[in-house]
Amino acid sequence: MKNAKPTCLCLLLATALVSGPALAQEGEPITIGVPVGLSGANSVIAPAVVQATELAVEQINASGGILGRPVKVVVADDASGAAGAQTAYNTLVFQNDVDVLIAIETSAARNAGLPIVEEGEKPFIYSSFYEGRSCSPNMFVNGWVPEQQVPPVVEKLMADGARNFFLIGSDYAFGRGMLEFSRKYIEDKGGKIVGEEYLPMEGSDWTAILSNLRSAGADAVITSTAGGTPNVTLTKQLRASGISIPYANLAVDEGTAKAMGADGVGILISASYLTAIDTPENKDFIAALEKKFGGEMRTPNDLSTPQYEAVYLYKAAVEKAGSTETEAVLAAFPEVSFKGPRGEISMSKQHHAPLTMYLGEVQADGSVKVVAEFPNVDPGDQCPDL
Amino acid sequence: MALLLDITTTAALLFIVSAGLFVIFGVLKIINFAHAAWLTIGAYTTVVATRMGFSPWLSLPLAVFVGGLLGAATEIAIVRPLYRRSLDAILATWGLGVVIVQIITLTFGRDMQMPPALITGTVDVLGMPYSSYRLFLLVAAVIMGLAFVLVLERTRLGLNAQAVIMNETLARALGINTSQVRLVTFMLGSAIAALAGVLLTPLSSVDPTMGISWLIGAFMLVMVSGTSVAALALACLCFGAAQVLVSTWISPILGSVTVAVLCAVVLRLHPKGFARG
Repeated sequence: MKNAKPTCLCLLLATALVSGPALAQEGEPITIGVPVGLSGANSVIAPAVVQATELAVEQINASGGILGRPVKVVVADDASGAAGAQTAYNTLVFQNDVDVLIAIETSAARNAGLPIVEEGEKPFIYSSFYEGRSCSPNMFVNGWVPEQQVPPVVEKLMADGARNFFLIGSDYAFGRGMLEFSRKYIEDKGGKIVGEEYLPMEGSDWTAILSNLRSAGADAVITSTAGGTPNVTLTKQLRASGISIPYANLAVDEGTAKAMGADGVGILISASYLTAIDTPENKDFIAALEKKFGGEMRTPNDLSTPQYEAVYLYKAAVEKAGSTETEAVLAAFPEVSFKGPRGEISMSKQHHAPLTMYLGEVQADGSVKVVAEFPNVDPGDQCPDL
Repeated sequence: MALLLDITTTAALLFIVSAGLFVIFGVLKIINFAHAAWLTIGAYTTVVATRMGFSPWLSLPLAVFVGGLLGAATEIAIVRPLYRRSLDAILATWGLGVVIVQIITLTFGRDMQMPPALITGTVDVLGMPYSSYRLFLLVAAVIMGLAFVLVLERTRLGLNAQAVIMNETLARALGINTSQVRLVTFMLGSAIAALAGVLLTPLSSVDPTMGISWLIGAFMLVMVSGTSVAALALACLCFGAAQVLVSTWISPILGSVTVAVLCAVVLRLHPKGFARG
């Protein structure tokens, strides 16, 4: 706790910068705590998430705040891991005494932060896609779970004639969880799994797996590696091996796929957000980001856009509840909805959200084209007890 | 057939990655734990070269040049006083590696870089398409190995190096400038490591920590092969084969630790490893 004071000071300064010009608003500001991995594994995507939060807060303040009160943001770095999350959540919940936490997180950081959120009795919107089945009375989720992300991919590949599937993943909870669900789903639909192989997260030589893939007689390959390095090494080596069957990647984001250049072309991506979504809400969202951040703008993605919408969902819940009191807000969460860049979002199913899922295909020019749309995909029974 | 190609190309890759470390360990008897950083620097020369609009092929000579230059600076500034203190040399080079990785992170950011590949596409080998780049790696490894042998056997530098390896005091007494041999050897080792970094770019992700995942394997291979090029080649072939076979038939997760486990076993049973054995 020796370091708490300087951290607080920095956070307060950051707050002052972030909250921006408030219009004639009365009363105490409403504080949103954003624990996020500014360092560590999430550091590549965290800036986009912070920008999305700042944009939502600026827009809300410019139109009168929430219940007439201004909104401010406190960002705390959790270093993308459990230890950092404990410090970040403790600071936000007990020292800054924020009104709500809204965050994308690694699963490890979320698991470490949840007990603190519950102890401090704060509402918490988890705006990250994840492996599913994390349940807490205080937590609501507006990102996708496997039940929503996998079916579009499998349906599309099967519609194109694929029957024999090969699964490749990184050996960790998310990789195995996604492929386990894929296997079940494919087999339920009458498809066949001709191979399922994993490499440790730090592995970079996919040679043997690719040779097995080649000799397995698969019609399509579905991969779920850890983000970043393994994803890139696998894609490069897959392309170099000359294997040309349809390739769906459950773990690649639009930006990485684009950056992979020629190797990325043709990859199928399943997401609840793609920049190519053709709605006025999405176009306004991107235009507003461009206007606010200019050259510093980070391309919005499937983590930052739910974060943006989560701020508005919180606003709707507070307005419905008529207060920021935790119990009232939690009771209001499943009732409210917000029409954002991803469409109409409501966390109405066991603390999770039915979502419209988009299937994207990476084009030769690096853009991602929406090839199919699956409206209102149900998250399934995530938390039957809630 | 695919299995045979997988084995030989995997061995080639292992050979290329460990060659730089091998040169430095073989002659200087110190373990250069900055090896991973040299690999990374090599890969980033490709990033720089292609960003400036040059062909990725140009990064091969560029990496040799940059690696050699940095190698010389390292030898003079850091390694020279540490030849008789090999544990301190490990610490110093490890620290240097950390510093280099941080400098790369500060300069290029944590993000992955995607330089264009040297060679893309496949070649038909007996009716089966196979990655042209992996075949190219095989050729590159063979050339590298032959060059090693030629330099060691046919040049003054090679003879001097052999003399230093066998008996340094005697070599110095015979008028061989041993500190110059060391400098040149360290430069060569660093240059070869940087070259290996370039050759990794089409297979690997290019990011500041990319070198680390290759370091342990290279280290193990060098430990079992001592000072002989032939032993290194043999070790790469054996362990590459083991890695591919275990990955193909049992599990890639086990396959990725085979090199480390086998090296430990070999050294336990036969402390000289593959050298003279």
